[in-house]
Amino acid sequence: MVFESVPYGPRSYVFSPKWFYGFDSIIEFIAVIVSILLVYYSYRCFRLTKENKYLYFSTAFLSITLAFIAKIIGTLAIYKPVITRTALGSTIHQTFTSLTPYSINAIALIIHFFFMLLGFMILFLIISKLSWKNQRVIVLLVYFVFLATWISVIHYQLFYVTSFVILLLVTYSYYQNYMEIKSEKARFVLIAFGILLVSQAFFVFVIYSKTIYVLAELIQLLGFIYLLIPFILIFKKKPKRVK
Amino acid sequence: MIVKRRGKLEIIADILRSIQNKEGKIKPTHLLYKSNLSHAKLMEYVDILLEKGMIEERLVKGKKMFFMKDQGHKFLLEFERIKEFSDSFGL
Repeated sequence: MVFESVPYGPRSYVFSPKWFYGFDSIIEFIAVIVSILLVYYSYRCFRLTKENKYLYFSTAFLSITLAFIAKIIGTLAIYKPVITRTALGSTIHQTFTSLTPYSINAIALIIHFFFMLLGFMILFLIISKLSWKNQRVIVLLVYFVFLATWISVIHYQLFYVTSFVILLLVTYSYYQNYMEIKSEKARFVLIAFGILLVSQAFFVFVIYSKTIYVLAELIQLLGFIYLLIPFILIFKKKPKRVK
Repeated sequence: MIVKRRGKLEIIADILRSIQNKEGKIKPTHLLYKSNLSHAKLMEYVDILLEKGMIEERLVKGKKMFFMKDQGHKFLLEFERIKEFSDSFGL
């Protein structure tokens, strides 16, 4: 379903079938938890080692976390408009009288598009081993993130196509990483990004069928579960004690 | 083949691993051989490890030996986790 709040302006999108309302938010909430774990641990690595690559990785997943939070807020505004009648909701509503659930959804989706693309792009920059010495390339890529977000506001499919392309490059880099490292954990990371790539491909076609949206969300959930596995395996490692 | 220089943390981890592999205690000469460092450099790192409480120096039958402490085990575990995280996520 596409709702147009302002002609040629930001659009409000709800692709979920009614029976799936809220389940997609739960899936995205799980994605938020996995992303926060990665943000926390990579930031901890940065604090301990002072190596910037961990800080950038943390920033990438922080951006992905914000993207999912924005989407959850945006969809809940439509699924549960009763939220606007709560004390906080009505205060916001009185301050911004022009805000309707659809305009909240539209604004949240722009934020979702921007932070998701930015997160994937930072991830691509880190695993491509691009450093700040390549400033011009980085500035150009960030410009493309803005551009893609802008056009995605009118043509939502461009967002998923762009995510798909960036994730394709990220997945290929993880394939190379797995071939080099050959570890079980690197394989799980590769599978996770491969699954997330497939989910983005499904998201491109959600306008044609609500079932595709459900499938895309479930595939995305599987991708984040796979992303959690290597993380758990690393922490399962017990200290080696000497008698 | 390009050989990457070890960072400070990697050197510390290598020293601790050498001690851990020798059942938690090692003679200074063995440590020098295992750590692949000059004597002066090794002593610099040993001082850091002693100061941080990761190893301790004891006399066994009149001979100096280094023993790994709990703090050392904790550091090594944390370092190995970070390394695995870094390798798995291609960092």
